[in-house]
Amino acid sequence: MRRGLISRSVVELPDAVLEARLVRVRAAMRTDGLDALLVYTNNTRPAGVSWLTGFVPYWSEALLVVPADGAPYLVAALSFRVRSWIECVSRIGDILHHPRIGLRAGQQIVAMRKDAAVGVVDFDGLPAGIAADLREAGPDLRLTDASALFVRLRGAADPAEIALASKAAAIAQAALAQAGGPSLNAMIAAVERHARLLGAEEIYIAAAPDLARDARFIRIEGAPALGRHFALRATVAYKGTWIRLVRTFCEPGVAEQAAARLAEAVAFLPSDRGFMGFENFLVEGCRMAQPLEALMGSRLHTSIAPQPGALVSVQALISIDGTSVPAGAPALIGLDGAAGSLLAGPLFD
Amino acid sequence: MPDQQLAAERRQRLAAAMGEAGIERVVLYGNAWQGDYLRYGSDFGILEGHGIALIGRDGSAALYLDSASEAERAELEVPELAVHFAADLFRAVGARLEGGNERLAAAPRRFVPRWLVDPARRFKLADATALVDKLLMHKAAGEIAAVRRAAEIADAAYVEFRNAVRPGRRQYEIVADIEAHLRARGCPDNFMIIGSGGKDVLGMTPPSERRIAAGDLVTTELTPAVDGYFAQICRTLVVGQASAAQQRAFAVFVEALQAGIAAVRPGARAADVAKAENDVFRKYGLGEYTTNKWTRVRGHGMGLFADSKPHILEDVETVLAPGMTLIVHPNTYHPDAGYIVLGDAVLVTDRGAEVLCRTPRQLFEVTAS
Repeated sequence: MRRGLISRSVVELPDAVLEARLVRVRAAMRTDGLDALLVYTNNTRPAGVSWLTGFVPYWSEALLVVPADGAPYLVAALSFRVRSWIECVSRIGDILHHPRIGLRAGQQIVAMRKDAAVGVVDFDGLPAGIAADLREAGPDLRLTDASALFVRLRGAADPAEIALASKAAAIAQAALAQAGGPSLNAMIAAVERHARLLGAEEIYIAAAPDLARDARFIRIEGAPALGRHFALRATVAYKGTWIRLVRTFCEPGVAEQAAARLAEAVAFLPSDRGFMGFENFLVEGCRMAQPLEALMGSRLHTSIAPQPGALVSVQALISIDGTSVPAGAPALIGLDGAAGSLLAGPLFD
Repeated sequence: MPDQQLAAERRQRLAAAMGEAGIERVVLYGNAWQGDYLRYGSDFGILEGHGIALIGRDGSAALYLDSASEAERAELEVPELAVHFAADLFRAVGARLEGGNERLAAAPRRFVPRWLVDPARRFKLADATALVDKLLMHKAAGEIAAVRRAAEIADAAYVEFRNAVRPGRRQYEIVADIEAHLRARGCPDNFMIIGSGGKDVLGMTPPSERRIAAGDLVTTELTPAVDGYFAQICRTLVVGQASAAQQRAFAVFVEALQAGIAAVRPGARAADVAKAENDVFRKYGLGEYTTNKWTRVRGHGMGLFADSKPHILEDVETVLAPGMTLIVHPNTYHPDAGYIVLGDAVLVTDRGAEVLCRTPRQLFEVTAS
């Protein structure tokens, strides 16, 4: 669910940016011989549709249909009463409202061409009911997985996306800087409130309440005891772009050392050699629709190296003088062999 | 941290239901939008990515997540489960399902990723949605206790909401106050939408940049969760003094809510509750505003999802029974005032409805200066 500000800014996400992305999508569709491209969206997987239209569903689900010719349209399970809201917060040619979005989208495509070649982004992950409804609407539709096509296009971030990620990082940094109060819940409340006041579309705050016991992050329910050293992680969405930032509360100078080592490691990305010697690490980024997908890390058997120019969020557990210190921040992979760099340093006054 | 005893009790109920249905293993799918089936079997409140729990009739339980951050969280929050991080989630789960002769099923099957139900797979997933729906709707004592606590938190949060609404403030600033209020009390989740304005407003949405103005009707659905269980309250307030037209309009909603709650009793159908609410609107010549052009549902179930079954609509035949928790809300547009919401969380008991919300059913007024 999304509880923060969902709005469209034509300054931060101009029509020209979205149109340029569509032009690239259509060119790739022509190369692959597709008559239409389908992109599914819900709370969990909003990033494909938001990248093309700015639309982020706070609830429910929708399918974006990008025809080879003509404006994209959204088939939404949200009711007609929120149509004007969808129009306000996104750039979409038309909106069709139907509880069975697969059926309605299929009918529209069949009306264009009975045996249309339809690429579906993340076809394997499409909800089974929607896939069945697409088949019911168009038994002759040629449905194929268009994930590879989309991944190629989304790999490197454009300037607008980098700006949105930078804003999300700035929100997280300002919010985490507000962490104060008599209890962990008071700190979390302060961070949450500040992030939302700064326009965060969503914020998830996780905590490692006592680093002496465990450095892993959990969602806090109730009133857990706070250790001498602890950490907070803010996962912030701003206009469809997600980042993570970690603030560690420990001895003076230790967090600074961890931040410096994280920055050094990030410089080597997409190679993971900078992370050697860390207790663990994780690199997440958006390839298709999941905002922060695991790409590389200690727990991954197979890495998916982020493309040059990609936005990622990096987390690591770094041993400093025998203490396990979590660190994490968003980063931008360098272009043409250039060093990667953090979008925001995990340092707080 | 989740209530482990409650989670164990749920898994026992699930195993018993699977036994009766002859199902040996069930695939429970969830994501941040619809996570109730997954939470029922795994007790994990998913926020990112896909999650699948494999629950065996023998009591075995494994949780598969495609987010590494979520997997790390699950290891701590649900330590009694075998947690697996699998970037290629569908194939990892598929590998566990292949090769046996077990009777398998999935819930909610229509949300399960297509790959897992593709005819090419060497296993078949029957539909266990109705089986799990029944468990989700009919709550045990521990589940009801969690809904009660959530309703108390909803009442307190609405007090905070009334304090937060002031002319000039933007909708998202008000929501920031409410979310902070809930986090300060250790409440990790809430579903909330808001509306403000006059007759131009047709419903509620996530917060916008719209500023509160004198004379606005301000509507909200507040739905905090305790141990994963949501309870909802719906109220409307006026910035300044309510006009006679607003008061008259609101009185229809009070009467409709009372009628709906009075219709809640064991053996009644969800349709009976909706009809009782809608008949009040019809009595005043407002029947058009009970249609799906103006309103979605006249209430719904509450539990591990903020919008659970049964939906309170005149064509829903689900029979109410003790232990069900619902919100009855005749929310809709009124042509003389705009969009109005009013709703209370209720528990179905042997004697009828027990109202869980304590906030008065009044059109609140907050200062316009």
